[in-house]
Amino acid sequence: MTDTTGQEEVLKSYDSALMKRLLAYLKPYLAVFLLSIGALLLATAGELYIPILIQRSIDNHILPYHRAIRVDSAPGEILNKLDTVQTDFVIDGIYYFPTSRLSDLSVLEKNYLKDKGILSSENYIVVKDYNRKPRIKSILNRYPDFFKANQLNAVIEEKDLSSFDRESLRIIRGDHYRGLSFIGLQFLFILIGVLIFTFSQVYLLAYVGQMLMKDMRTHVFDHTLGLSLKFIDANPVGRLVTRITNDVETINELFTTVISSLLRDASLMVGVLAVLFILSPHLACITLLSLPPVIVLALIFRVKARDAFRRVRQAVSQINSFLSEHISGMRIVQLFAQEKQSREEFNKRNRRLLKANLGEMYVFASFRPFIDLLSSVSIAVIIYFGANFLVRDMISLGILIAFINLIRKFYEPVRDLSEKYNILQSAMAGAERVFELLDEKSIISQPSSPIFLDRTKGNIVFDNVSFQYKDGETVLKNLSFSVEPGETIAIVGYTGAGKTTIASLLTRMWDIQEGAILIDGINIRDIPTSSLRRKVQSVLQDVFLFSGSIESNIRLECSISPEEIERAIKLVKADTFINKLPQGLETELNERATNLSMGQRQLISFARVLAHNPDILILDEATGNIDTETEKLIQEALKNLLKARTSLVIAHRLSTIRNADRIIVLHRGELLESGSHEELIRKRGMYFNLYQMQFQDI
Amino acid sequence: MLKEFKTLLPYFKKYSLSYLIGLFFLVLTDGGQLYIPQLIRRAIDMIASGSFLLSNVMILSAQMVGIAFIIAVSRFSWRYFIHGSSRRIEQQLREKLFVHLQSLSSTFYRKAKTGDLMARFTNDMRAIRMASAMALVAFIDGFFMTIAILVILFSQNPLLTLYSISPLPIITIGVIFFGRIIGERFRRIQEGFSNLSEMAQESISGIRVLKTFVREKAFVKRFARTNQDYTERNMALVRIWGLFFPLVAFLAGITTLIFLLLGGRAVMEGSLSPGEFTAFLSYLHMLIWPMMGAGFTINMIQRAGASLGRINKILNEVPDISSPPAAITHRIDGNINIRNLTFSYPESQEPVLSDISLDIPRGSILGILGKIASGKSSLVQLLPRILDPPDGTLFIDDRDIKSYELGTLRSAIGMVPQDGFLFSASIRENIAFGSKNGNGDLLKKVACISTIDRDFNTFPDGWDTIVGERGVTLSGGQKQRVAMSRALASDASIYIFDDSLSSVDTETEDFILRELFPFISGKTLILISHRISTLKAADHIIVLDKGRIIQQGRHDELITVRGFYADIYKLQQLEETIRRKK
Repeated sequence: MTDTTGQEEVLKSYDSALMKRLLAYLKPYLAVFLLSIGALLLATAGELYIPILIQRSIDNHILPYHRAIRVDSAPGEILNKLDTVQTDFVIDGIYYFPTSRLSDLSVLEKNYLKDKGILSSENYIVVKDYNRKPRIKSILNRYPDFFKANQLNAVIEEKDLSSFDRESLRIIRGDHYRGLSFIGLQFLFILIGVLIFTFSQVYLLAYVGQMLMKDMRTHVFDHTLGLSLKFIDANPVGRLVTRITNDVETINELFTTVISSLLRDASLMVGVLAVLFILSPHLACITLLSLPPVIVLALIFRVKARDAFRRVRQAVSQINSFLSEHISGMRIVQLFAQEKQSREEFNKRNRRLLKANLGEMYVFASFRPFIDLLSSVSIAVIIYFGANFLVRDMISLGILIAFINLIRKFYEPVRDLSEKYNILQSAMAGAERVFELLDEKSIISQPSSPIFLDRTKGNIVFDNVSFQYKDGETVLKNLSFSVEPGETIAIVGYTGAGKTTIASLLTRMWDIQEGAILIDGINIRDIPTSSLRRKVQSVLQDVFLFSGSIESNIRLECSISPEEIERAIKLVKADTFINKLPQGLETELNERATNLSMGQRQLISFARVLAHNPDILILDEATGNIDTETEKLIQEALKNLLKARTSLVIAHRLSTIRNADRIIVLHRGELLESGSHEELIRKRGMYFNLYQMQFQDI
Repeated sequence: MLKEFKTLLPYFKKYSLSYLIGLFFLVLTDGGQLYIPQLIRRAIDMIASGSFLLSNVMILSAQMVGIAFIIAVSRFSWRYFIHGSSRRIEQQLREKLFVHLQSLSSTFYRKAKTGDLMARFTNDMRAIRMASAMALVAFIDGFFMTIAILVILFSQNPLLTLYSISPLPIITIGVIFFGRIIGERFRRIQEGFSNLSEMAQESISGIRVLKTFVREKAFVKRFARTNQDYTERNMALVRIWGLFFPLVAFLAGITTLIFLLLGGRAVMEGSLSPGEFTAFLSYLHMLIWPMMGAGFTINMIQRAGASLGRINKILNEVPDISSPPAAITHRIDGNINIRNLTFSYPESQEPVLSDISLDIPRGSILGILGKIASGKSSLVQLLPRILDPPDGTLFIDDRDIKSYELGTLRSAIGMVPQDGFLFSASIRENIAFGSKNGNGDLLKKVACISTIDRDFNTFPDGWDTIVGERGVTLSGGQKQRVAMSRALASDASIYIFDDSLSSVDTETEDFILRELFPFISGKTLILISHRISTLKAADHIIVLDKGRIIQQGRHDELITVRGFYADIYKLQQLEETIRRKK
């Protein structure tokens, strides 16, 4: 509990070193990653184009207003600002031009023109090329009062349009109808494009994230398997599994959620601002004024959210560790009748968690309304100033509407900033824990100038070996003995005498503190562990079988031929029961092989070691209850197993011990007696007593 | 599934006022949101008319700011009331679950996995909280907004509305339909994830085998295959999940497109004002979330139902060991009688104790010797009713132990369990765990008896040293001695030492026993041990084998008869001589 709080202190919201390490995993997928960013940018561009399309449809087709200016009275330089006068649109000495052109004139100029009556305040609609359109022409002829026309084009004042019925309007504004449809078509294409690009972006980024996680998981798994037993035994298996699975998973969120939305949000916001400036620089500048409060708010929020988030995480980890401890130790709580106290303890933590949760809720519950408020205020401000600009003919109605739509889009990414921030935080915390495991250096050191074992004769020497698992708990003390090639040695002793430890030391699962262990005269520290362990193998007392078939448990992913496996199971007499199973060797074992009896599991472990054919075998005999029939099989199997190789047997069976060449009696980590069965019986020492008690563990 | 929600009913009732206030603010928020487009409409129409007073636009803008302010306040308020309530409900449900777990006996804990129970407190609670806040909000919000917007739009232009919103129901159907496929693929991911976890779990648990046969690399390859499979399952979800939101956006876009074409014409033809056009666009935009929300609500409620089901299963578990009605609560002296006790675990037929009859008078010491799995621990766990004996077999002070109030019974027993489970608290807190008035003197005394005080100078913070998760920072002997002090600090009448001196050397053991006996004089002591040196001081010793008493008597009696006790005695004497020689 205390160390988690410590961790939290270390945790920074953004740790660049951590990020760098994460990005190293990205390297192989950089191309795909860039591709997905490309798709993202295209999708964002498409999204931004939609408000522009709406603006265009309003300004060019739905409300395509024109203004009238008297060509002869207007000053030439002003006319030039309105583009060269197109004579096609000059009717009776008046030039009709799109309203949007007026934004190029200064307010002074516009006021001057209006005051002089040179520029109309009324809006006109232009009907182009009416001569070629007989239906328009007939309307024109029917209502000559409404229209003014030259040879080519006609105009009508906007307010006069309301005098026409819908049919006639459709004829008069046919061009605009078609224009609108054309925009609709563009709109559809853009939508399809956005759909494709967004999907591609999401898919590609998820692919990168998944691949990255896959690499990382394998890497962490690989690293963990390489760690020494000293480290693995000191850590609960569940915790290590969490590092490989859950913690890596949180990093995935970083990629699929945070990075993608961060890029999307950034490009969207920049894009919106760019479009705003293109549409109307003046109005865009006013919009920009709302940016500082957003930034300030986001910065304040970032700090508040981090603190709140940290408090929640602390409270959660406290309550979780309390729970897991008190669920597994519930018996103790009940034994001491401390339910009330432990309930109070729980409530204290539970209340702390509630407080932290509520604290987080306040932060989050106020952020979003604030941002929405800012968004609405921005829109209100834009409407006011937009109206101002519109009066001065600086912008069109379409542009004002586009601004309203775009500002909404601008604020969208900011709204769920909180959620993204949260994800970023837990991803970073997860990454930190994963890297912490990857930085764990507790491995059995490999020799700098390794000696590889080829064919070993099988001579073993323990020379003054002292060993302790934990400081102050000596397991073996100055232990010395030697084993000749081909010999079978039985090691006997009381529980806790250090028998099992000998097996772990000979295969270098642990390193000894004093003395030396030699195989064929070579110190095992000079042999690479992989080479050593191929030659020296042990059968553990506690048989561990993996889920999978019996065959795969014997093979252990090695290249062993089916014949060799058959031979091994025959030699250890495991064939009798395996053949009785409906699927034989292919029988699937459940977790911990609970569908086999203990004796059967043991026979499989014998077959396993026999199939791997070590030069030196260490057998840690199991003690549990085994039915007499299997027991008989095991005894015969043992004979075959120990034949023709140097063997150390940590023995519990009288028969095994009697068949050994020599017996070593251990007591509290020290060698007490050694010799043959007869010698030791005659000595009437510890062995004799153990013998009388049938070597049972008590 | 809905009946699972009954568990939440009392909480909903308790917080009904908060919920009602929250919902009021939620509707107010919605109302405000619905009003803003109306203001925009009026502003645009005013502006579009060409002749207007800027001050009028100013008024509209000011109104909009005002409404936005009300929205902000009420949005905060509904979150405060609804999320706040859901957090409080979560807290109380968590407490209820924990308290219930406390009442369940070892029968339950033998079946239950800690990890599973933890998941009830984390994942399932989260799902329930989501349903009790977000699902409710999404439902009310979606319902209210959808109806309101539809009314506004239809009243303005029914035909235009009908055409424009036609793609939207596809979103709801899509969410439900996609939700199913997503649910299925998600389930497959979870499956893949647990395959992966199991694989990792198994490989790390079996690390000795892997290292013995140098198969680490091969298993990394095997892991990589499972890993690949998991990745593929994830990608299968991405293919559909990644399509989902873009598709929603596409459908929303189509709605806008239809409206642009038809609404644009309506503006041209004068049946729709430019302001109405803009407002319409806003309203359509506002419809999309409720359409999605409707689908999500269904999924969220389903998930919460499943989670509640799992929690209810625990809550419905009836505690099988509890105090009887009219339980005895007076002080226990410590006279124990066992009458023809035969006991087997509920899940098996095989008795672990057969026909045990024994008297342990108050103030006496009983020694128990026996092989592994001979029933020693089971016997002593029956006394505090961690395991429940059959009626009429176990008596304390001439009353069936089942007639005592459970707390009274257990407080009267000071047990040092075999595994010496400690909590990750300080040594002081661990020792004072069972003592109601654990004053400093008493704690010092019991730390001295167990000799753990001798180790204090090696601990970084002495009494306040934190022992780490399950006492990992302590050695086996230290753990045993802390657990022993813990039992002694509790004011019990009966003490039980379940093989509690096994990791302590014989000199220390001598010291402990010398100090212990006067400390507990007048109280009953049951000592389970493998060591004759521990047992020999007992007033009476029983030897258990396969659940039966095979030998009993005093130490000096037992060593004279051939049997298990005498064998062990001889062996240990020999050990002792070896030790002395050195």
